[in-house]
Amino acid sequence: MSVLRKFDSLLNKFEGALLVLLLAAMVVMAFLQVVLRNGFNSTILWVDILLRHLVLWTGFLGAALATSSERHINIDAFTRFLSPRARSVINTITNLFAVVVCWLLLQASVTYVKNEMIAGSTIYADLPTWYSALIIPIGFGLLILHFSVRAILNANAALKNEVTS
Amino acid sequence: MSVWLVILLIGLLAFLGAPLFLIIGAFALLGFAVSGIDASAVIINLYSIAENPVLIAIPLFTFAGYVLAESNSPRRLVNVAQAFFGWMPGGLAIVVLVTCAFFTAFTGASGVTIVALGGLLYPALIKELYPERFSLGLVTASGSIGLLFPPSLPIILYGLISKVDIDKLFLAGIIPGIILLLFLGIYSIFVGVKAKVPRVPFSWRNIATTSRAAAWEMPLPLVIVGGIYGGIFTATEAAAVTAFYVLVVEVFIYKDLKLTTDIPRVMKESMLLVGAILAIVGTALGLTNYLIDAEVPQKLFELVRATITSPTTFLLILNGFLIIVGMMMDIFSAILVVVPLIIPVAMQFGINPIHLGIIFLTNLEIGYLTPPVGLNLFLSSLRFHKPILHITRAVLVFIVLELVALMLITYIPELSLWLVEAF
Repeated sequence: MSVLRKFDSLLNKFEGALLVLLLAAMVVMAFLQVVLRNGFNSTILWVDILLRHLVLWTGFLGAALATSSERHINIDAFTRFLSPRARSVINTITNLFAVVVCWLLLQASVTYVKNEMIAGSTIYADLPTWYSALIIPIGFGLLILHFSVRAILNANAALKNEVTS
Repeated sequence: MSVWLVILLIGLLAFLGAPLFLIIGAFALLGFAVSGIDASAVIINLYSIAENPVLIAIPLFTFAGYVLAESNSPRRLVNVAQAFFGWMPGGLAIVVLVTCAFFTAFTGASGVTIVALGGLLYPALIKELYPERFSLGLVTASGSIGLLFPPSLPIILYGLISKVDIDKLFLAGIIPGIILLLFLGIYSIFVGVKAKVPRVPFSWRNIATTSRAAAWEMPLPLVIVGGIYGGIFTATEAAAVTAFYVLVVEVFIYKDLKLTTDIPRVMKESMLLVGAILAIVGTALGLTNYLIDAEVPQKLFELVRATITSPTTFLLILNGFLIIVGMMMDIFSAILVVVPLIIPVAMQFGINPIHLGIIFLTNLEIGYLTPPVGLNLFLSSLRFHKPILHITRAVLVFIVLELVALMLITYIPELSLWLVEAF
């Protein structure tokens, strides 16, 4: 299990680093656009487009991190009164459900990216839309990995009657 | 038949604590599958996140809020508020309300308020001999009190879904927000007098020193509201200015946070919440699209019209319904899933979508305090190590006060619309 935890936290480190980079770029560029608009009466069009796509990217990376720290918004009013072991059992089930739904969404996003490739649509100048849309299958892929790790850790805890961290 | 079974199963998993964005996603997938539309329709809607210029406000405002919460600004702002209001009867309680409102508006009503300010304010209330139950209830209720003030995230999300101008919604929330503050404030003064809480004498010097200490943070609400309504920048640009400004002030002027160690940590922490919210936005866009395709709002309206004819009754039923929604769902999912359903219905009854937004958000603000999923109850319970039941009893008075304010906000639309029309 410790290998699994290590893998999860290594993945988190990578996602976190990328997230920090993207958010820093977002904060600086968004501010510069305001300065340009007010001070020089002009903005850079591609920066606006890039900023909008960064929202999608940070969203997926943030969601991946939220999975590992179990911070997704959910109804936990009923499970919080259960014993740790019962909770592990239920968490295994809900995490498996999450893996299944993410898998379906991953397949749907692969279809979507393929359609965009065939349609040949572009975001800006010659930049194809599917480049940016690639974050969707990647994002769901990351979510599947994290939810699988949670499922296995919870199942293990339920069997051994331990508390997951 | 088997479709209903799947719906039941997904619903059950929601109550067992499965992430709500996947519950919503599963419903969207199921809906499109039943109507014979390819599942990639869900992704087409999800991708529209990247096409919306407003959404960037969510990561930027959340980041700014987390930076403020992690710095020493809570303490500085409490000191200022103490200097301004401490001399009044119930002074400290007013301080709690004002500073919490400020923080909730900036941190997107995500519960950061109770975590960041509760530890500071609750012991102070107890030390000044406010009754324990009142103090606990006040701090818990204050955790969502600023929901109606700009730049709160729920307002931005409502604007996004209802396609109402966010600038107008920001204006509309100000008076109702102040009414809620007044209600709780007057009650606090009453309690303060009854408990014979000692009062701090008013001093200009105190105001000067504390204001100087917080000189860089105090103008923030003014910059946002003034900037938006002075036509200098849009709501989205306000987010960009706030994020950059707060970062520079806390890192380079106050030096509360270190750029290389603290800021990356705060960035990750704030993006956890943004990821959780955007995940819900992403899948909810798909579900909404399906529901509108399937003409669910129209069917809902016909169902409602069969039993209700007057707008007055409709509003009453709507409030009851929304309080139940607020009890069961978190605010972000509620806005994304419920708003598209009720807006067309409310429009048929002649209710202004701006007014509807304020009613909606006030209801959900009350929902933060009601069991079983009232977020503030759990945060308070964790923060102050008190049983949920004890806290629920402590907030009861505050729920009643907010319900009275809700009635005023519901039946006097001018409270929400006056400022919008004046500007």
